[in-house]
Amino acid sequence: MNDIMQSVNKTDDSLLIGGVNLLSRLFVGTGKFSSHEIVPRVLEASGTQVVTMALRRVDWKNPQENILNYLPQNTILLPNTSGARTAEEAVRIARLAQSAGCGNWVKIEVVQDQRYLLPDNWETIRATEQLAKEGFVVLPYMSPDLGAAKRLQDAGAAAIMPLGAPIGSNRGLQTKELIRILIEEISLPIIVDAGIGRPSEAAEAMEMGAAAVLVNTAIATAGDPVFMAQAFRLAVSAGRLGYLAGPGERRVAAEASSPLTGFLQEGN
Amino acid sequence: MQIIVNGEAQEILSECTVFQLLEDKAVTLKTAVVELNGKILRQELWQSTAISASDSLEILIFMGGG
Repeated sequence: MNDIMQSVNKTDDSLLIGGVNLLSRLFVGTGKFSSHEIVPRVLEASGTQVVTMALRRVDWKNPQENILNYLPQNTILLPNTSGARTAEEAVRIARLAQSAGCGNWVKIEVVQDQRYLLPDNWETIRATEQLAKEGFVVLPYMSPDLGAAKRLQDAGAAAIMPLGAPIGSNRGLQTKELIRILIEEISLPIIVDAGIGRPSEAAEAMEMGAAAVLVNTAIATAGDPVFMAQAFRLAVSAGRLGYLAGPGERRVAAEASSPLTGFLQEGN
Repeated sequence: MQIIVNGEAQEILSECTVFQLLEDKAVTLKTAVVELNGKILRQELWQSTAISASDSLEILIFMGGG
């Protein structure tokens, strides 16, 4: 694994977001883990530098422990605005999260659809505009759509985070072609968020030229989340290297890999 | 006196600061977020801010999320 990381580092292949050069292109979510105690081990195995979490009312009768107590000191915290149904609610959550003193990065998540949890791009654009003006590093979760992505770019987003499939569905890159178009047409980093269920799907996204991927459920619900975190780390590095290497052309018919002359039976 | 905490009525002792309220409940102090009557109350003000009857507080912490 160290060899892989070294080859990636050799190319000075860091990802610049919000003034920070990230060496890891795997963002990790902290939801759905069986216990808080496993989270630090998962994060270490994943090699991640950016970690998401949610802001919620404390249970007043039985106060829970804060997930922040389980995150390494140098982690970049990416609080999400989950629970927001409008831009105004997302802005409020972002400001509250910032007041906790955990930096100025925010993942905008505005959802009204409760079955598929698909983001509302229009409200997301409005929230992005406001929070970017306030100096936040804004990473909007969005339904992959070129027009909306352009508006998010104009609104001051630091990266665009299209979904591969519904949150928590582990169904992979169902929106692959739309994400490919975003990668081609949008100059901001494209970070595939939601839906990635297997390491191979993370590798596929990276091979396509995604700048990074955000994974939560696939790791949290794996039989062994620590192993799965490591698998995703390797997959993201492998996919990134594959992208940088420049994959060869695809063909319908065969093109021999071995020379087509000098066969033993020639002239017999 | 009665106040509203996270949308529910709670009975608390009078002359209580926000800091004392949180301390009593052992809410992880360092990283909790407090909104008092709809406005963010920064941590450095918790000790000096007294709670008045019918105040409404939102007390939030970070939980696992994606």
